[in-house]
Amino acid sequence: MTVRLISQLIDTLIVLFGVSTLVFLLLVLIPGDPVDVVLGESAQAADREAMRAALGLDRPLPERWLKFYVDLAHGDLGDSLVRLQPVTDLIRQRLPATLQLAAAAFVLVLLIAMPLGIIAARHRGRWPDSLAQTFALVGVSIPNFWLGPLLVLLFSVYLGWTPVSGNLESGSLVLPAITLGLSMAAITTRMMRSSLLEIESQPFLRTARCKGLSEGAVMLRHSLPNAMLPVITVLGLQLGGLLAGAVITEVVFSWPGIGSLLVDAIRQRDYPVVQGVVLFIALSYVLVNRLSDTLAAWLDPRIRERA
Amino acid sequence: MVRLAVICLYLSLVACKPPDTDILVFAVANAPSVLDPRLAGDAVSERTNALLYDRLVTLDEQGRAQPQMATWRALGNDHYRLSLLPSRAPFWNGRLPDAQDVAATYRSLLDPTLGSPHGGALANIRTVAVVNDGDVDFLLKKPDPSFVSRLTVGIVPAQAATGRDLGRHPIGSGPFAFVGWRDDGGVLLRRRSDGQQVAMVPVADPTMRTLKLLRGEAHLLQNDLPSELYGYLAGTSGLTLEEGPGTTFAYIGFNLDDAVLSSRDVRAAIAHAIDRDAIIRYLFGGRAHKAESVLRPQHWAGASDLLAYRYDPQRARDHLRRAGYDEQHPLTLSYKTSTDPFRLRIAHVLQSQLAAVGIDLKVSSYEWGTFFGDIKAGRFQMYSLAWVGVNTPDILRYAFHSESVPPGGANRGRYRSGEVDALIERAERADPAQAAQLYAAVQQRVHDDLVYVPLWYESNIAVARGLEGYVPGHDGNYRALANTRMTHVQSN
Repeated sequence: MTVRLISQLIDTLIVLFGVSTLVFLLLVLIPGDPVDVVLGESAQAADREAMRAALGLDRPLPERWLKFYVDLAHGDLGDSLVRLQPVTDLIRQRLPATLQLAAAAFVLVLLIAMPLGIIAARHRGRWPDSLAQTFALVGVSIPNFWLGPLLVLLFSVYLGWTPVSGNLESGSLVLPAITLGLSMAAITTRMMRSSLLEIESQPFLRTARCKGLSEGAVMLRHSLPNAMLPVITVLGLQLGGLLAGAVITEVVFSWPGIGSLLVDAIRQRDYPVVQGVVLFIALSYVLVNRLSDTLAAWLDPRIRERA
Repeated sequence: MVRLAVICLYLSLVACKPPDTDILVFAVANAPSVLDPRLAGDAVSERTNALLYDRLVTLDEQGRAQPQMATWRALGNDHYRLSLLPSRAPFWNGRLPDAQDVAATYRSLLDPTLGSPHGGALANIRTVAVVNDGDVDFLLKKPDPSFVSRLTVGIVPAQAATGRDLGRHPIGSGPFAFVGWRDDGGVLLRRRSDGQQVAMVPVADPTMRTLKLLRGEAHLLQNDLPSELYGYLAGTSGLTLEEGPGTTFAYIGFNLDDAVLSSRDVRAAIAHAIDRDAIIRYLFGGRAHKAESVLRPQHWAGASDLLAYRYDPQRARDHLRRAGYDEQHPLTLSYKTSTDPFRLRIAHVLQSQLAAVGIDLKVSSYEWGTFFGDIKAGRFQMYSLAWVGVNTPDILRYAFHSESVPPGGANRGRYRSGEVDALIERAERADPAQAAQLYAAVQQRVHDDLVYVPLWYESNIAVARGLEGYVPGHDGNYRALANTRMTHVQSN
């Protein structure tokens, strides 16, 4: 297990190095000049040069790349060109809102997908299965930028139950959590159902039933733990996406999280913020996926043995 | 496990405060990013800073300087004395702004280490000298009769002028005081005259901004909505729509170095092929006004007698024939625009109108950085952009003088005219009355040469719910908030 963890850590560091180098180079290559962002177009040539030097943009590329890594090692992601704040402070300010939305959406996914997947599998080919399949199809098909305003029209404008957007009023989390959680719940429901059906023909389930265990006990003690492995992998990917900031949902609902910070920074061409947030998103993805791998290995001895 | 999940979900759903109904909520597309008038570059930040910081002078609708904190007199053609008014408002800490604050503000603007986007417009200042507590002298590198109209940056306290901390913790002497940054990314202000609080709340999505107003969660929206939403909101009871003329000037730019577009006949054909009335009526819902020049005719340096290039498809075809194009030899041109859906829609209407006279327009839309980079580098035949917040005739040098070809300025069409250069240089040295005539002559020549196809001035539109007294400023400013009252209309 220890060897496996060390190997995963090395893999993670390699991935992060690759991602950070890619992000650094992409921001160097994309059109646009950070000096224009700060000084505007009408700046004098001397002022532009002074600002270029102050931002370190006059240094050779390898030197800038090295400095980027030295700063990164010190937890310094630079300062925002537009907001004049350290990027780490901006991420720290926005992270709680993203975590709150991610937690609510994730709980919603668990509450909907688990029972629905189990019901669909147990009643395969009958109406509960068709209903669950229809829900999954609809949930996956409706894009968030359309579902969000629809929910707002119904629950906020016509019924007056929830606020339209923002994060400061009572109940403001409900609609963003539903918008974000619904499509994820749909995917997880399908995964849960197919995973349960896949192990249905396994000999250990036949043995359990021959021993005289009830269907409920078979499901809880044998089917579910075995069917959970692929579901955990999907949930890990989904949680990574949630922590990375659900960009569309955050923008539609003016939710002040990581996703809306990234969109604002791209629009304002605030290069250090874009760089910092993309790195943070990559880190979240990698860590959550490593966590789900570890969880899968803990649940399934076969994975541990293969490692 | 399920019970725990339900409790977690419940707590996270209700862990928010009820709304404060006494706060005037102004929903804006983007929150102000920096509350230091020396460093603000985006429109919302500049307009919010104008509420927080008083300036030495403001510009009226004709673009003339009017005293706000100070009066002025010229002591020479390169020497101005600004005298602070006794009636000026104090900073929020109670201290009256003095000459030291004025000098520190303008010296910091000239300091390249501050990195102010306003430094370029003030580069003609040689020194700023404090005469006494109420008087400041500005000495210039060269004479500039309209220098005072550049002194429109908010005054900050001298002790805070050296750093960049003001951007997050502002201290000004304007009609509003800063209360704090909100958790939703917005900012909360307090009107100093009566304590009325105003929240600038960011709502990026225009549909959600509209729904917020309909639901009563916001009391005010201004601009940045699709025109069809204005039509809908205008017919909704409980809402008031205020429309005012704007200064945002939209135009079609040409690359005059291009072999095809260097022909004036080709440019004239394009100008006569565009039906601006139809675009304004159907795409803007009538909420724009035809323009002939970057400065409005009402501006002191504006040109009021420019003849419009009227919509005349036959005349457009005649110009094309003279330039050597007809049905056997059709003209194909490329047109670059941004990815903004509304700008793209306009581009496709232009494409259709030009096709009617035999011009095949290839429309390409690009992400803003690529688009703007191409325009500055001259990698285009035609493009469309708008000048926003134009208040001074400096724009004429910036956009049309041959020294202003990028990177020296914004003469993106590469227009070179010795006559226009000379007129601009004479106007910059002339007294205001003579300068007005010279600037009008510049605009006449630019109009005749068809450097741009002038399109329209986009109106400023505010939609309010439960408010009295709000009218959008001519340049989109929010100054009317100083006199706006809430009438507490109930939401639907």
